[in-house]
Amino acid sequence: MKRVVPLGKALDEAIFGSKAVGLGQAIRNGLPVPPGVALSGSIVEAVAAGERAAIKEAAKWVGPLGGPLAVRSSAADEDGASASFAGQHLTLLNVPSVEQLSSALSEIWWSANSDSAITYRQKVGLFTRPSVGVVVQALLDPDSAGVMFTRNPVTGADERVIEASWGLGEAVVAGIVIPDHYRIDRSGQVLERKPGYKKIAVRSVANGGTVEEKLSPELVERLCLNDDQLGELNRLAGRCEQIYGSARDVEWAIAGGTLYLLQCRAITKGG
Amino acid sequence: MRGAPIKLLQRVPLFTDLNKRELQQIARLFKARRFAEGQTVVQEGSGGAAFFVIESGEATVVIGGKKRTILKPGDYFGEIALIDEGKRMATITASSELVCYGLTYWDFRPVVQANGVVGWKLLQRMAKMLRESRED
Amino acid sequence: MSAGKGTELHFEPPSPGFWELDPVHFPRPATRYWMEVHPEPFKRGTAEFARSYGMLIDGLEMAYVNGFAYKAVRPVAEDQLPERFQRAEEVFKRKFWREQLRDWNETFKPTSIKAHRELQSVDPEGLSDTDLAAHLARCRDHHAEMLYQHMRFTAAAVVSIGDFLAHVGDWTGLPPAELLGLMRGTSPVSAGASAQLAQLITAIGKDPRAQKLLESKDDPGRVLEALRSLDRNTGAAVSAYLDLVGYRLLDGFDISNPCALELPDVLCRAIRAAVVGRGADASDVEGRIADVRGKVPAQQRARFDELLEEARLTYPIRDERGVFSDIWASGLMRRAALAGGRRLARKGRIHDAAHFVDAGLDEMRSLLSGADGPSADELAKRFEYRAAHSSKEAPSVLGPPPSPPPDPSGLPPAVGRMMRAIGIALEALFGSSEAPHEEHMLRGLAASRGVYEGPARRVSHPSEFDRIKRGDVLVTESTTEAFNILLPLLGAIVTDSGGLLSHSAIVAREYGIPGVVGTREATERIADGTRVRVDGDAGEVTVLA
Repeated sequence: MKRVVPLGKALDEAIFGSKAVGLGQAIRNGLPVPPGVALSGSIVEAVAAGERAAIKEAAKWVGPLGGPLAVRSSAADEDGASASFAGQHLTLLNVPSVEQLSSALSEIWWSANSDSAITYRQKVGLFTRPSVGVVVQALLDPDSAGVMFTRNPVTGADERVIEASWGLGEAVVAGIVIPDHYRIDRSGQVLERKPGYKKIAVRSVANGGTVEEKLSPELVERLCLNDDQLGELNRLAGRCEQIYGSARDVEWAIAGGTLYLLQCRAITKGG
Repeated sequence: MRGAPIKLLQRVPLFTDLNKRELQQIARLFKARRFAEGQTVVQEGSGGAAFFVIESGEATVVIGGKKRTILKPGDYFGEIALIDEGKRMATITASSELVCYGLTYWDFRPVVQANGVVGWKLLQRMAKMLRESRED
Repeated sequence: MSAGKGTELHFEPPSPGFWELDPVHFPRPATRYWMEVHPEPFKRGTAEFARSYGMLIDGLEMAYVNGFAYKAVRPVAEDQLPERFQRAEEVFKRKFWREQLRDWNETFKPTSIKAHRELQSVDPEGLSDTDLAAHLARCRDHHAEMLYQHMRFTAAAVVSIGDFLAHVGDWTGLPPAELLGLMRGTSPVSAGASAQLAQLITAIGKDPRAQKLLESKDDPGRVLEALRSLDRNTGAAVSAYLDLVGYRLLDGFDISNPCALELPDVLCRAIRAAVVGRGADASDVEGRIADVRGKVPAQQRARFDELLEEARLTYPIRDERGVFSDIWASGLMRRAALAGGRRLARKGRIHDAAHFVDAGLDEMRSLLSGADGPSADELAKRFEYRAAHSSKEAPSVLGPPPSPPPDPSGLPPAVGRMMRAIGIALEALFGSSEAPHEEHMLRGLAASRGVYEGPARRVSHPSEFDRIKRGDVLVTESTTEAFNILLPLLGAIVTDSGGLLSHSAIVAREYGIPGVVGTREATERIADGTRVRVDGDAGEVTVLA
């Protein structure tokens, strides 16, 4: 059984986790996903346990991606429609190179087996040992990034809701800033553009990890997306719905003028 | 080499009566985990998922806001929540760079069930704790 | 007398009256220099705009208690009322703000820039101690004048925008935040942009060496130096731009804050962003104006056009009056102070160059001339005090509450319109308490439906989690995954930052508890233990009791 595959070949959720398989599906359908590999739950566990052969194998696959890396957990039974597990699992941004990979994988394994993660699993009715795979991709240096829901999560309206900020999407996902807030209808017509209050951007730092950078005053309330970009996001929303179904939670980033898909999963009930 | 160093487990009173082969079996199941100084290892009141042995560094134990004790290399903690599936009884914080080896519930329980001597030692410690809490 | 929350500092009103903390402009204690230089020109400038616009106040006063900034509104004397009433009418009739705008563009702004550049052309490092002391005094006087200028033009900056927000808000029901969007693209010289920046963008666009430098991940300080030293037009354009913006404070007003040149990384990113032309174009504003206009009742649309024109005309002055006045002057004062600090630190007279900003002007001059002054330890103590304390520790009001403001409907129409316009504008632009004092209510994004009342628990860090009890309302800056453990206990969530799609909003909805996110200042304004009502449908948090 293959323990590591290129992301586009991740097919089995039980082995590679739902994030990897979701991204693999996106790649197979021609969506713009940053290149990467999927590590199985078993190799992540083996690396966390300190098995040398596993560490070597993981390094061999990840090496060609270069550095820096985005290392994200991909759990086997996460992302179901009943519970978002939002924030339960770990994303390690800017792991500078493959040398730091094994400690990153160990951290991810432990975050999936942490007190809070296990308690959360039990609360949502999962009593088995978690299996956590990992997705490793080349890290982007985005100009702007954020989240898009293909349905309004508060009103339920059939429209795209986009929240965006400067730099890495962490700022939006983790709620570090008040992001710009946009709404677009299916046809692409922009219904609302509300500038946020974006004092901080999350950026990757040369030696690994990220930092919260204070932004210069004129960027704080400047809209970070123009109408062309909103149009592209609307088209991406349509493609995601075609491939995965309705009510999608999409993480995206715009780097070097290109819109990338970072994650696409179901909007959870009530989420 | 996979798991915790045998030398570490040999120092832990819980495992001293096991023979080398038993120790090796158990050691393989452990995984290293590092905590930075000041990081919370275990939070009082939360659900519990893992049992830890300290390899290096120190940690403080606080119950109900009062500092109770300091844990050092060779000490272990976290087993009670795994045994009764209840909440963590104390908050344990790394007071220096802390390196632990941990077992989650799914590995801990079989170890205890398969090794009566380990179970006996756990019972001894819990009896001691029970007496001490009655004296408080 | 009231004690600050949880500290040993004692707070008394600085003089009789009702004082309100200003944590928005002054989140930390001020330097001694600032506390000495700010109050007089602030009072003078606000009194002037209040009089010239026919307002019912005699201006504002700023005072410092334990270093924290408190503001008071000075009521106008009764015998002044007739003059004020008349003045308010004239202001609207004459569109007085246009005259002020012309004064600003033709006189005040260019004169100020000239004065800044004169002081800027002096390199404080090259001055003798005596000359540096004199230079510091000149910078201070210039700073004071610029502070006065900033306040003097406040009404011009806000009256027409507030008037617009008030009327159009009534006609369409749209909130100020959305209507402010119609101000975009009002001027080529809006905040951040300028002729110098435009020239810089052109020059870089034509120079591949410059582009390569900007793209490189090199140390930003070195990148800027390298850009400056490029030949042909590019180096000159870079220098011209840096000369314009380099000594502006990046945030805040006090000389304790860094100016742009001290943070080359921020400058590089700003230049990069401008070169690539990120951000929304002004071109989509036309469409949005049409949208809003469509919501205005037909018979008011001509009025809408008129109000919009006035608002857009004067909107640029909102940023300009700071950026070209005290924001620059403060940076120049800081530069001189740091130069003084460096030489005193070399002599061992003070522990660190940065501590020098904590001396008042007279103390600075004294120390430079070798005479008596605060000890190195004293200055270090003042510096550390500012870093260690924040406005969260200071009581939000001092002194007895004021009588309620006059009912606008009982006033002559022009006066009522003036007070309303200024009140709305200040609230929308600065979220400040110059607005009529109302029940403590905060607005944010309605992230998760439902209404809940309960005690607020201010928790910033997992180490404080054991303070949370079942039914509490969590009030925090932003939530991380670590907070998930609290969710079963909480009645509602309120955060400073975050949007509807952030982690905290998602989990609030999943757990079915009301949530209001992105309030900006919940942690500043909601004290621990106070009873609050969280309305996740309206996006409002009200402090009860």
